[in-house]
Amino acid sequence: MNAVIADALADPTPRSLWSAAVRKLARDRAGLIGLAVVLAYLVAALGVWLGLWATEWAEITGSKWAPVSAEHWFGTNIIGQDIFQRGIYSTATAFEVGLVVAVLAAALGGVLGALAGFFVGSWIDELILWAMGVLDAMPFYLLVAAVAFALADNPWSMHVAMIATFWTTTSRLVRGEVIKLRGMEFVEAARAIGVPPTVTIFRHILPNTTHILLVQMTLAFVDAIKAEVILSFLGLGVKGGMSWGLMISESTLEFLGGHFNNLIAASCLMFGLVYAFNMFADALQDALDPKQVSA
Amino acid sequence: MRVTSTRYRTLLLALLCAPVTACDDASVPAPLTQDPDAGLKVYHHSMDESPASLDPVQAANIYANHILENTLDTLYAYKYLARPYELKTNLADGWPEISEDRLTYTIRIKRGVRFQDDACFPQGRGREVTAADFVYSLKRNFDPKNRPQGAWFWQGRIVGLDEWKDAGSDHAKEVPGLLALDRYTIQVRLTRPYPQLLDTFAQGYSGVIPREAVERYGREFGVHPVGSGPFKLVSYDSARAVLDRNPHYRQEPVDLAYEGYDPATQRYSGVERIAGRSPPFVDRVIFDFASDDASRWNSLTKGDEIQYAAVPPEKLDEILASRSPPRLKPEYAERYQLIVGLEAGFVFEVFNFSDPRYGYHPDPVQAGRNKALRCAIMKAFDWPARNESWYGGLARVFPGVIVPVTAEFDPDTPVDTITRDVPGARRLLAENGWNAGNLPEFVYGNSAGVKQRMMFEQLRAWLIDIGYPTEKVINKNYATFGDLSRAWKQNELPLISKGWGLDFPDAENTLQLFYGPNGSPGSNDANYRNPEFDRLYEEASVMLPGPERTAIYRRMNEILLQDCVGMTGLSRTRTYLWHKNVVGLPDREITGGFWIKFVDVLPKGESARPADLGQEI
Repeated sequence: MNAVIADALADPTPRSLWSAAVRKLARDRAGLIGLAVVLAYLVAALGVWLGLWATEWAEITGSKWAPVSAEHWFGTNIIGQDIFQRGIYSTATAFEVGLVVAVLAAALGGVLGALAGFFVGSWIDELILWAMGVLDAMPFYLLVAAVAFALADNPWSMHVAMIATFWTTTSRLVRGEVIKLRGMEFVEAARAIGVPPTVTIFRHILPNTTHILLVQMTLAFVDAIKAEVILSFLGLGVKGGMSWGLMISESTLEFLGGHFNNLIAASCLMFGLVYAFNMFADALQDALDPKQVSA
Repeated sequence: MRVTSTRYRTLLLALLCAPVTACDDASVPAPLTQDPDAGLKVYHHSMDESPASLDPVQAANIYANHILENTLDTLYAYKYLARPYELKTNLADGWPEISEDRLTYTIRIKRGVRFQDDACFPQGRGREVTAADFVYSLKRNFDPKNRPQGAWFWQGRIVGLDEWKDAGSDHAKEVPGLLALDRYTIQVRLTRPYPQLLDTFAQGYSGVIPREAVERYGREFGVHPVGSGPFKLVSYDSARAVLDRNPHYRQEPVDLAYEGYDPATQRYSGVERIAGRSPPFVDRVIFDFASDDASRWNSLTKGDEIQYAAVPPEKLDEILASRSPPRLKPEYAERYQLIVGLEAGFVFEVFNFSDPRYGYHPDPVQAGRNKALRCAIMKAFDWPARNESWYGGLARVFPGVIVPVTAEFDPDTPVDTITRDVPGARRLLAENGWNAGNLPEFVYGNSAGVKQRMMFEQLRAWLIDIGYPTEKVINKNYATFGDLSRAWKQNELPLISKGWGLDFPDAENTLQLFYGPNGSPGSNDANYRNPEFDRLYEEASVMLPGPERTAIYRRMNEILLQDCVGMTGLSRTRTYLWHKNVVGLPDREITGGFWIKFVDVLPKGESARPADLGQEI
C-alpha cells in the first residue's frame, strides 16, 4: 500500500483534487525550498520593476575589473559597471521573459489542444496536428534563432519565437486529456441540453485541464529562461536591457585577462533560479498528478 | 600438425611484412598526414581578419594588402626600416621626371622583370612586365565591372580617366593622361598638381597584373592574383593563405642604410643578418586568419604554430614588466621579441551632419542648439576610460584628426575637446534648452559583437551622466561591418564610429574625410560641409610639404574642433610578439605587409637577437 492510499484511508473527509494537491505539496520539503528560492528571486525582480534596487545597472560606478568589495559585491566588469546590480537586474529580465512566454505558450497550447481534442479526427484536428508536427520537426534553437533573427529590431522577437515553439508540448498533452474528457458524462450532458461546442470547450472542458497547464507553465518558465540566456549570448535575445546571457557573453572579453566574476555571477544566479524552479515544478507535478492525488 | 603450424607462421610473417614493404616503396603515395612544409623554411604570420578579395582593385584593407604587397609589384614602396615612412623605388627604375608645372610624370620601369609562372601564359611561363601592364592595371580601378574601391585616389586627377569611365571603360581606348609611351615608359598627366601621386602608386590598388590572368580567371581572379612580387599565392581561403617563394624574383641585395636602418633602435631585431642578401629569404609564408584573440594567443604561445601575433590588451599586464619603456617579463623575453608602436591611423566617432537632430539645420537657432548638443556629448566622452577599457591604456588620445605619426601633427593643440567635463556638458545643455524630455533619440549603430555592445554600453553610461534618459540611447546591431558601413553611407545613423588607417603618411589622408565633395557615399561619412574648410583643403591639396601647408592643415583641424565635429581621436598602440628565431621588424601600418619579403627564419632554438644585447629591450 503506498503512502497516498494510506493517507486517503486514514482521512475519510472527501477532498477536491486541488485541496489534496495543496496538502501534498505542503509535505514536499524539496518543493517548498524550491518555492521559497523562487519567491526570493521574485522579490528581487519586483524590486527592480518598482525601481527599488539595481537602478544603476547601466551606469559606470567603479573602475575596470574592480575586485569584490563592500561597494561592489561581485566586482565590476570591463567598463566598470557593478556586476551585482546587473545580475539582479537580469533576474527581472528572466522573470519577465519566463512569465510572458509561460503564460502565453500555455494559453495558446491549451486552446489549440482543446480544439484539436474536442474535434478529434476533423480537419481542425488535422490542421493543428500538422502545425505541431512541422514545428516539432525543426531543431528548437535553430527555429528560435531564425524567428528572433527575422524580427531582429523588435524587442518582443525573442518572446514571439519562444511562444511559437513552446505551445506544442502543452497542446499535445491537453489534446489527449480533452479526448478523454469529451467522452465523459458531464460533456455528454452538456451536448444533450444543446450547449454550443465553444461553451462546452471553454467553460466545461478546459478548466479540467488546469493541472496540466499549471505544470506545463512551470516547465515552460524554466525553458524560457534557459533559451533567453542562450539567445542573448548569441546576440539574438535581449535588446537594450540586461540578462544573464549578455553577462556570460561579456565574460568572453575577460577570460584572457583572468577575470571570471561576470561568468560566475551570471551562471550562479541562473543556476539557482532554474534549479529551484525545477524542484518546485517536480513537486507541483507530483501534487497535481490525478493518478496519485485521487487514488 | 607441426608442418601446418609452420605454414601458418610463415603466412602470418608474410602478412606482417607486407605493409612494411609497401611503405618502403617509393611509388606509393605519401600518407595524408605528412607535413606539407617539411624541408621548407616557413614563416607563419597571423592576422585578425581574412581579406574578402585579392583582386588589387578591391584591396581596401590591410589584410588584402598584406598578401598583395607580397605577390604583386607596385611602382613604389615604403622603405623597410625608415621611420617616419619614406618611399623608395620598386618596379620603377628610379624617380620620375616631373614637368615644371608638376602636371606630367614620366616613369620608367625596370627591364627584365617577369610575372610569376602561371597557366594564363603560353607554356605557363611568366612574360616580362611592361608599362602597358601598369596602365591596364590602373585603368581597372575605373571599370565598374570590377567593383573597384580605390578609384578615389585618382578621381578627377588624371586627364581623361573619368571620361574614359563615363564612356564605358573600354580598355581598347586610350586615356590621354595615362599612357605607355613605350615598353618601359609610363606617362601620367594630371589635371592639377598632386603631391601624393607617388604614394598612391605604392598602394595595393595600383599593383601591376597581367591582362591574360584577368581574362583567364574572370571573377575567380579575386582568389588567384598573378603578379611579379617576391611570392606566389598557392592557396587561399577564409582560414589561411599560403604563399611560396617566386623563384624568378629579381635579385636586389638589401642595403640596410638605404632601407633606413637605425642600429640604435632596430638592431635587436637581428635585421643585420639580411644585409647584402636578396629577398625573399623564406620558402613559404603562411597567413593564418583568426579573429579570436584567444585563439591567436594560444597558437603563438604554444610554440609550434604562428610565429607572430598582436598581444591582446587583456594580456599586457601579464607579459610586460614595465609599460614605459615597454619591457617584457623575463619568462617572455626569453622566448619572444617585442615591438610597441603607435598606429598610423586613428579611431574616432563623428556626428552625421545630415541628421537635422544633431547636424545642420535650416533654422539657425536650432543649428546653434544642435552644435551645443554635439559639444556637450564631446564633453561627456571619457577618453582615458575608453583607452583603459579597450586599448590597455597604451593608446594616445589627441585632439582632432591629424594623427601623431604624421609630420603635420601639432602636440600643442589645446586638449579641451578631449577632456571630460560633465558639469560643463550639463551646463551647456541647460543653457541651450535641452532637457531629458526634448533630447533627441541617440541611435548607436555597431556590428554584432560583444566588444561592440560593451562600447555602446560605455557611451550610454556617459550620456546618462549628462542627463540622457537610458531609454533614449539605443543600440542598433548590424549583422556585419558591411551592413553597418552601408547604414552610415545611407545616413541612417547620427554617429559614425570608425577607424581609419593612413594610406600614406600625410595628414591630407585624414583631412579628406571631412572635405565636402567627398560626402556619402564618399569617404566623408559625416557629410561635413564647411566652405572655409573646403577652400583650405583645395588650397593645400596642390602644395608640396612644408611649413605653409602644415599651417593650413592645422587651421583645418581647428575648424573641425570648433564645429564639434565629434569625439576624435585615438591612435592605438600596437603591441606585437614574435618568436626569437624570426629575423624581422614587423609593421602592419600604411600599406601593411611591405616588410614580409625581408623576413628570415632561423632554425628552432636559435635567436635573431644579437647575443651582446641580452634580453632587455
